[in-house]
Amino acid sequence: MSVDWQVRLKQWWALPVTRALLALLLMIVIGGLFNADGAFFRWSIHRDMLRQVSVFGILACGMTVVIITAGIDLSVSSVLALAAVCFAWFTLPLDWPAIIAIPVVVAVGAALGSVSGALVARMGIQPFIVTLAMMVFARGLAKVVSGGQKITNYVAEADGSMRLVDHPPIFDLIDSRILGGNLSIVTIVFLLCVLVTWIVLARLRLGRYIYAVGGNQEAARLSGVPVRRTLITSYALSGFFAAIAGICQAAQETHGDPETGMAYELDAIAMVVIGGTTLAGGKGSVVLTLIGVLTIGYLQKILSLNAAPEATRLVLTGAIIICAVLFQRGRK
Amino acid sequence: MSYRSAALLCFCLSPALGCDSESRARHAGTPDDPWVIGMSQCNLGEPWRVQMDADVRAAADRHSNLRVIFKDAQNESLLQRAQVEEFVEQGVDLIIISPKEAAPLTRPVAEAYQRGIPVIVLDRAVQGDQYTTFIGADNVQIGREAGRWIKEKLGGNGKMVELKGLMTSVPGQDRNQGFLQGVELDNNPGLEIVFSGEMKWLEPDARREMESALATNPDIDVVYAHNDPGAHGAWLAARAAGREDEMIFVGIDALPHEGQQYVRQNMLDATFLYPTGGAEAIDIALAILRGEEAPKHIVLGTRLFTRENMDRGGDPIQ
Repeated sequence: MSVDWQVRLKQWWALPVTRALLALLLMIVIGGLFNADGAFFRWSIHRDMLRQVSVFGILACGMTVVIITAGIDLSVSSVLALAAVCFAWFTLPLDWPAIIAIPVVVAVGAALGSVSGALVARMGIQPFIVTLAMMVFARGLAKVVSGGQKITNYVAEADGSMRLVDHPPIFDLIDSRILGGNLSIVTIVFLLCVLVTWIVLARLRLGRYIYAVGGNQEAARLSGVPVRRTLITSYALSGFFAAIAGICQAAQETHGDPETGMAYELDAIAMVVIGGTTLAGGKGSVVLTLIGVLTIGYLQKILSLNAAPEATRLVLTGAIIICAVLFQRGRK
Repeated sequence: MSYRSAALLCFCLSPALGCDSESRARHAGTPDDPWVIGMSQCNLGEPWRVQMDADVRAAADRHSNLRVIFKDAQNESLLQRAQVEEFVEQGVDLIIISPKEAAPLTRPVAEAYQRGIPVIVLDRAVQGDQYTTFIGADNVQIGREAGRWIKEKLGGNGKMVELKGLMTSVPGQDRNQGFLQGVELDNNPGLEIVFSGEMKWLEPDARREMESALATNPDIDVVYAHNDPGAHGAWLAARAAGREDEMIFVGIDALPHEGQQYVRQNMLDATFLYPTGGAEAIDIALAILRGEEAPKHIVLGTRLFTRENMDRGGDPIQ
């Protein structure tokens, strides 16, 4: 009886999800200790943290898929900026309805992702190099589309004069809250992205292919997995999510900024890795990523609530990422 | 004296000796043969620098006897150095440079200057005095004016939030230092900075910091952000909390498409111009090319933009 209990505890302890949850719990306890005069115990703090972290979380969903294929996608932050700029451009100066603008923007993101995926899968270039190039390319494209300026609701007319237009309702819709003001729409979008990723990875045949390609690409190929198609789809998914994140970013900023989201890819990678998905590929899940996203989100919130200086924040964030990863590895 | 040091001495003296005898401008300065100005911008990633180029272009377009070649150094000192050297080789009549950093660009600027090409340095300085004119603004002064305005607006009583730019950057330090001089906390015990966060000039970060400020402080009277995107991010956070009418928002930079629009749309209550100096640079360039004497150092004043004075283009502060 007691032996059986010990074995179970051991098995439970060996699960990555247990360790990820413990790290998150620890972070919440730290938040309780450094609660900034009780602010941490109010739901609005958690609601705001969830809003703040949602854009990163959406990027992390795509990043999880790509990392499980043993790849990496450095271009997500630039695709986010391009999507933000395109979304603002379509809806503000061009005055497209959201129902057309959103699918076009998402298609642009997915298309850029597919290009990365095709270069990785067909040309055999390393994902780091391909997506690094895509990162530069997409950022450049964002600047070309926007002319290097933010695209705002201050719109140039044909005769060169400027005119203020109202933000279309989609902006306020995305940046609003439901359930009596207790949950942000962007957080719902993030959770939907997690759900979609979970279905892809855990319920679809594509998910099994993704794990197989990441585990051992050669073995996967020999056992009949369409490796190229799987890789292209994975990077396309990452671009797709990056575009959704870009739309959320633009709506929250109320404009399309070609400089937005700089270095967000690093946060997204950190969130995936802290959750327990390894960069080696073949292992991991989006549930782990969700926990990783929350852990980093709480860390940032606690530092911000206590008005920690930037230098302290950087040092603590770096140290905590390493501790969390070591903690995850401890199970081996 | 060795041969080498003699050569060096000659080199150093040559511009001083040769300056007056030869005509500096290689073009006539007529619509048929316009003066050519080379403009090297340190980067076009920042909207404020895009605005600077736009100001230079707009001012130059008013003069048919001027032509400006624009180059973007993409935040690389060595690329910018190469651009200055290219302008010299191309035989431009005058160089305008907004340098990325002082040390690596001091020598190429000095070499161009010594070869008789006037150089106008914009916004960030170079070392020494081997240039024609420096034009820049004073962030300490702008921060001080913002602090004074806030102090008067609050009547010496109130709780303030400061959202700081990158505090490892000189503009961030200056706008903070000037603000503290302006509000004079020592002489105004009723004024208090209740929250101070570093948003690194970024709007999403400003929004996060402001959410923390709102969560920890039931009373906030004013938000002072080191740039307009920061103030806008703070306003978005306050609006999401339904508290945007409880406090006033003050930013810096006042770009026409950014801060001025936020004021016009009743988001910000005030923004202080951080002038690009683009228009002034063209005025000074024309004076130099016509052979007039130009001042060595020009400090541009700021302008205050509020809802009331927006339509007349803000008010200058002396």
